[in-house]
Amino acid sequence: MKHEEAKFILNAYRPNGADAADPAFAEALEHARRDPALAAWFERLNEFDRAVAAKLGEVQPPSGLRETILAGARVGTPEGLSWWRRPAWLAVAAAFIVVGAVTLSLAPARLEAADLTSFVARDAQQRHMHGDGEAWSSFQARLAEPATRLGQKLAVNFSELRTTGCRTIRFQGRDVLEVCFNRDGKWYHCYVVRRADFPSLQAPASAEISAEGSVHVATWADDSHLFVVVSKGGAEALQVLL
Amino acid sequence: MPGETFTQLVDAHYAPLYRFALSLTKNSSDAGDLTQQTFFIWAKKGEQLRDYTKAKSWLFTTLYREFLRVRRRAEHVTALEDLSPVDSDPPAPEVDIVAGMDAGLVVASLQEVDEVYRVPLTLFYMQDLSYKEIAEALEVPIGTVMSRLSRGKAQLRAALARKDARTVKVVPFEIHPGRKTS
Repeated sequence: MKHEEAKFILNAYRPNGADAADPAFAEALEHARRDPALAAWFERLNEFDRAVAAKLGEVQPPSGLRETILAGARVGTPEGLSWWRRPAWLAVAAAFIVVGAVTLSLAPARLEAADLTSFVARDAQQRHMHGDGEAWSSFQARLAEPATRLGQKLAVNFSELRTTGCRTIRFQGRDVLEVCFNRDGKWYHCYVVRRADFPSLQAPASAEISAEGSVHVATWADDSHLFVVVSKGGAEALQVLL
Repeated sequence: MPGETFTQLVDAHYAPLYRFALSLTKNSSDAGDLTQQTFFIWAKKGEQLRDYTKAKSWLFTTLYREFLRVRRRAEHVTALEDLSPVDSDPPAPEVDIVAGMDAGLVVASLQEVDEVYRVPLTLFYMQDLSYKEIAEALEVPIGTVMSRLSRGKAQLRAALARKDARTVKVVPFEIHPGRKTS
């Protein structure tokens, strides 16, 4: 067996060793035992495959999917109509609140807005960072504009902001964008998250101001995003923005 | 339905089926629908399967066929297989970098792999099916599965390397008196 042929076969060898007894791999495995270079390659391949498999295994189905499947099986369906589209089924599905818009549900814990505000309050007290890009500076200018009233719906192109250089930090495995802006000589930090990324997030219906250590934060949400603005100027400095 | 057997079947397989569906549809909502539809088809037809040890393969095969059926209805897609030689060792991120990556980034990288390779590759990484069972599920020869795994891994390494390079690298800076940036 040639070196490249052994590699070709070993690429199909599962990293959990489930194929160890499969005779189709025997010759290639034996080749790897005798060839140090191939053995090293196979070890690297296995480590890489194990790492990817572990990450894929971390992806959890949306909460309620299991119950939805079981409940749907009880409901049954007439021919020609998908079961999950039936009115009776939709009622069952609604009861379980299945499948948010989040792309990946990595078993997020129930999240309160306070968890996020504590996180961003700590972040806002760190050193300032560079950002770059048109979309980002345009958003910053809008926030700085005195006529812009915060505490209500703000048009945000999250993906564009992220890809054009807006500062991005991670919270519970999800992206949080941060833009700082100036109003009347005072600096503020505005943090934005997509609500779809935090389906369990309990967000206030209208803007709320609270103290977080030495800073104050204003928190509100619209249909798509949750916003947290941090200020060191006290609650009054935030109140004038709303 | 659902009887005890059905419940056990759901408990054993709904999570890996959902992961496979997610890699196909790239959308959580559609993946949930596809997983539900697969179990519904089982509820209607799976009882006819005499050998329950093949239930797992049956479910993965059914999910994939259902995905293709729905997609065929929606659009005409021709999967073109790249027949150029495989670069057996393309630039790859270090294993510890992959291990340190957010699972979402790794899955997003997997979703960048061409579908023709992504399907067997996802099944391979879920480790539930052997290459022979993957070949049966996809109705392709064993050699084709091996070839697609090899090419798929090459594409995945490249996608992971791109994701790693794109990861935001934050650089502290000195505050300029006239302009403050985030």
